[in-house]
Amino acid sequence: MSVSRDDYSIAFRSALLQRGASQKFSIFSLIIVALIIFFLDVYGFTVVKTARSFINDVVYRVTYLASAPTRLFPGINQGIAGHFNLKKENEELRKVIERYKALDLNLEYISNENKNLKKVLDTEDVRSVSNVVLAKVLVDRNSPFLKSIIINKGSKEGIIKGMPVTQNKYLVGRIVETNYLSSRVLLLNDLNSRIPVTFDEKSTQAILTGGGTRKPILSYLPEDYEFKDDITVFASGKDGIFSAGTPIGKTKYTGEVELFVDPNQLSFVTVNLIKPSKEVF
Amino acid sequence: MAKGNIVNKLFASGPLILLYYLSISEIDTNLEKLFEVFSLNLQIIIIYFWIIKRPNLMGTGHIFLAGLINDVVMGFPLGISSLSYLAVCFVGNYVRNKSVNTTIASDWFTFLIALLFANLLFFSLLNNFSEVIISYTKIGYNTFFTLFLFPVFWFLFHLYQISFIGSQDA
Repeated sequence: MSVSRDDYSIAFRSALLQRGASQKFSIFSLIIVALIIFFLDVYGFTVVKTARSFINDVVYRVTYLASAPTRLFPGINQGIAGHFNLKKENEELRKVIERYKALDLNLEYISNENKNLKKVLDTEDVRSVSNVVLAKVLVDRNSPFLKSIIINKGSKEGIIKGMPVTQNKYLVGRIVETNYLSSRVLLLNDLNSRIPVTFDEKSTQAILTGGGTRKPILSYLPEDYEFKDDITVFASGKDGIFSAGTPIGKTKYTGEVELFVDPNQLSFVTVNLIKPSKEVF
Repeated sequence: MAKGNIVNKLFASGPLILLYYLSISEIDTNLEKLFEVFSLNLQIIIIYFWIIKRPNLMGTGHIFLAGLINDVVMGFPLGISSLSYLAVCFVGNYVRNKSVNTTIASDWFTFLIALLFANLLFFSLLNNFSEVIISYTKIGYNTFFTLFLFPVFWFLFHLYQISFIGSQDA
């Protein structure tokens, strides 16, 4: 060991400032650059926002391509299994279609009746119901800290921050970041997610709080409230973001909510182009 | 000869390719479906191991860029992962400058310092300058599993090093 290596300050300085053939930048200079980028991004300068939006669009597309192999293998497995069950599945699907046709007629009657009743009550603009954008999930990276997905539609399609996102009419989350060609959706089970909800025959009000786990929990309930299993939880719409009555999940006796849509199994989602009545996130 | 050279370069680029791929792809080390509390920061292990063993294979510019990509994909403020990775680099460089021979035990111990330093920087910046809320329990689990599994990856990377790159450390 040389004498210089015994010197702590030299070792410290060397670790911070040393450059070499493959180390073209010193750690110190890169730390300074990273800090500048961090503070520019955090304090939201317009130029940085625009640049970030462009970078996001590019990186999300690359991520989608880079993740193709991870999506391909489960797909092949499902494809082989699906092929063997094709005939049986076909018969079952025919039955389901017949059943849905009957339900569809019934639904048409009910939705017409509902529209007429809403017009009478003059409570809500029913035109917004048809104003939706179907989006594909580009990136579904399961971070231990943030539960979010990236979709392939952005401000080009009229998506803005705060818009609710659903799948099969079930609430999935809300838009928290928009780029020109992509957006980030904050899922209901994220720690940052808070949704006012209503449930049971007494229309009990609560806040659905994400905990970073698979099942969000109900909080701010009336005192001594006792949970029961299998009660459907709906968005109350009191935040001016989510449409009142959007189904979310079923209660468990533990106070958790089993979501109708598994946040880890999203492929396509619907963004409801309803402008939030107040600024969010 | 030229073909062998390309293959050698490809093997030497392996750790860097893995780092970029982990940052940009959907592959995650959060096995929530199998074990809800399990999560691992594999990028930090890769950076620390190769900075100590073969710093010429892991350029700081690449580490900085991989951090930026990770921030975009994960939705964190830009630059925060880069800072945390550079903190690991710094500790790794310092340990390499101060030591002649490293063993798995000494690397594991110094990795604890690097990991704590990097996570402290990451979460204190996130907590003070961002609106993103993070669960401290999850941070604890993540740090624990990353530290706990370091020897496993140390062994795997060591095998890779002696098989494809050469046994001599920097």
